[in-house]
Amino acid sequence: MGIKRKKSENEGGDEPKPVAVEIEKKKKGILPSMIKNKDKRAAVHAKLKQEKKLDKRKKVKARDAAEKRALELGEEPPARKIPKTIENTREEDETVCRPDDEELFVRNDADEFSAVLKRESNPKILITTCRFNSSRGPAFIEELLSVIPNAQYYKRGTYDLKKIIEYANKKEFTSLIVVHTNRREPDALLIIGLPNGPTAHFKLSKLVLRKDIKNHGNPTSHEPELVLNNFTTRLGHRIGRLIQSLFPQEPNFRGRRVVTFHNQRDFIFFRHHRYIFETKETKQPEVKGKKTKDSKADAITEAKPFARLQECGPRFTLKLISLQHGTFDPRGGEFEWVHKPEMDTSRRRFFL
Amino acid sequence: MPRTTTLECPGCPPLRALTFDELGLIKVTEARSKQGGVPKMVERWGDPDASKCVLAASMDDRKFDPLLAVARKNGTIEVLNPLNGDLHFSVSNVSENGVQPVEDAVSGLHLFAKQNLELTSRSCTLLTCTMKGNASIRSYEVTKSAADVTSTGSSRTWNVCAGGDILCSKVDGSESYSLFGGKRVEMNVWDLENCAKIWTAKSPPKNSLGIFTPTWFTSATYLSKDDHRKFVAGTNSHEVRLYDISAQRRPVITVNFRETPIKAVAEDLDGYTIYIGNGSGDLASVDMRTGKLLGCFLGKCSGSIRSIARHPEFPVIASCGLDSYLRVWNVKTRELLSAVFLKQHLTNVLFDSNFADEETKVTLPAADQLHEEEHIAPGTPCEDDGETVPVKKKKSREKKRSKKEAKAESGNKEVSEENGGKKSKSKKSSKRLKRENLDDEL
Repeated sequence: MGIKRKKSENEGGDEPKPVAVEIEKKKKGILPSMIKNKDKRAAVHAKLKQEKKLDKRKKVKARDAAEKRALELGEEPPARKIPKTIENTREEDETVCRPDDEELFVRNDADEFSAVLKRESNPKILITTCRFNSSRGPAFIEELLSVIPNAQYYKRGTYDLKKIIEYANKKEFTSLIVVHTNRREPDALLIIGLPNGPTAHFKLSKLVLRKDIKNHGNPTSHEPELVLNNFTTRLGHRIGRLIQSLFPQEPNFRGRRVVTFHNQRDFIFFRHHRYIFETKETKQPEVKGKKTKDSKADAITEAKPFARLQECGPRFTLKLISLQHGTFDPRGGEFEWVHKPEMDTSRRRFFL
Repeated sequence: MPRTTTLECPGCPPLRALTFDELGLIKVTEARSKQGGVPKMVERWGDPDASKCVLAASMDDRKFDPLLAVARKNGTIEVLNPLNGDLHFSVSNVSENGVQPVEDAVSGLHLFAKQNLELTSRSCTLLTCTMKGNASIRSYEVTKSAADVTSTGSSRTWNVCAGGDILCSKVDGSESYSLFGGKRVEMNVWDLENCAKIWTAKSPPKNSLGIFTPTWFTSATYLSKDDHRKFVAGTNSHEVRLYDISAQRRPVITVNFRETPIKAVAEDLDGYTIYIGNGSGDLASVDMRTGKLLGCFLGKCSGSIRSIARHPEFPVIASCGLDSYLRVWNVKTRELLSAVFLKQHLTNVLFDSNFADEETKVTLPAADQLHEEEHIAPGTPCEDDGETVPVKKKKSREKKRSKKEAKAESGNKEVSEENGGKKSKSKKSSKRLKRENLDDEL
């Protein structure tokens, strides 16, 4: 080190500052991952982490204090910053549907689902499986039958899917669902609109059956309400309508059942709940103990309604693989949308 | 910062494309060099109505009084002005046979460019072909009022096939021959003057496993404008076949492309390159002399390609399909020049070749330069290719034909092929001359 210092002095007094800056930079720039000794690396890493944590805590404290002061002074507290997430930094997509788009509505009126969605006909669903299914497959289908009203299960047998589609058309079914199982585990879902609707192929994952959900409820046979979240683009809109056409268009609100298809980053999360509205009167003393603010609010309005949810399975996640024009025809069909690897150029690009 | 994939649009040459969609809308997309060549939708004709879904379209883009014919799902055929979208007249296809248009939809439409001598200039001749094989050629007189249209001159109707569905039809450059083919219908060639079938294809033999693939043609095109003998057809079993009428009834070359049916085939100006689009949105170019894949056009195209159009001057093609994008590609580099979102499932795309002429004088020379560069530079190696690396199959074909056919014809043909390069040059020069004339007029 001594030599080095001398060197820098010898080189000339005209630029000692940049060297110092460089050294400082080097000290800061050393990443824990660059240290080879594991003990030292762990120590440096722990230290950095602790610093970060303290920093963050300090920031939060400062923010809270500022907010409090602003409230006391009767000023508007500074707006909270919105964290950057992948969703809100999503790449701009010109295919996102806009409510003022006249062509979209005409297209909707003309598409394959309009008969069901305009309540001209009732949805009638045929559920079948792949050739071989066992264990979780049938259990899943049983639960699907309880979720989707007016659905019937038919054994697959050895029929071709095209023959089944013909049969379903004859019997005036409006959609066909095929549950594909692999190694006794459902892994794909095919939703086919009939008679000439599109065919959507989904990957199915994270399946949790009802009996595996803690404190699950048992659904009633009322028509459920349907929640479709975040289907924004043209493609998403179409998938949304396809899903919508599976369910009756007039929910029975007495049943207090909700079926949710929530789209987030192109994954469609399925949940099935029962809800109930209750009033908070009975629980007032407990609330008082917890928070003083709430108790004040409660003192003013004594009966404050709130909703409770109870999940009643199944629970699964879908991901769209392809959307085909027309009914199932893997070899001769035309695709409206297929996922291709070249389309995955960014984490912030979504299609639904 | 997040990686973004905003398309770096290199910009396309000034062009004007018409697209037709399932709601019966006609959308005009224009790219001007002033805006940096970014194409934009500038006009929309017609009201959205699902029953007016466009099935086929054909354009006669001559300099003076161009015409555009559009066949719709409800059985009407409309003739429009492609410059401003004014309706000249519309005729219904139902009248003659009393067949419902839904059952017997129009699958092929061609607007004849050459004028019939007996008729006045304000008339047009249409060839229509329905799914069931009812082909007809009719001439229509355009009168002042759009309401009354008189069908004049010769009106011929004949049946192209006994059974099966006609899915593709194409009229050759000289407009005296036409192709028909479809599901369960082998490709056949008709002489339009006599309405006589002159040639039928033979289905390829069973494969090594003894399996016969059923006939199902989905698209067809002639290999070059001035030769009606060679044509290319795309099948549902993802094959592209080259037929040569003068050589044999079975395909000369068969190319397999990916796994989904070929949905669109378009020819290049050079007479051997073919652009193919398939049901899962893959677009590629194939050299039909060797049957080799030249390369794919990559550009996140995710929906089936319904139509491909080659620009008559610039080295540019446009494709459209079920993903509701109009995409413009460079032919040489195979890169995406731009993509325009047009909201509907598109069925057809056409180029308006006279658009560049309508540009201001400032842009004209630039366009000309571009055109020259791109024609001359890649032109030379191609010619060399044709002479030095003669393809085996082609040679044998040539021999066969020369044996079979009349000497004069084959002789002519060979000469024309040898002088192919010169010819193209002369063509170009003539074009340039035309342009200069036009400039003067302007």
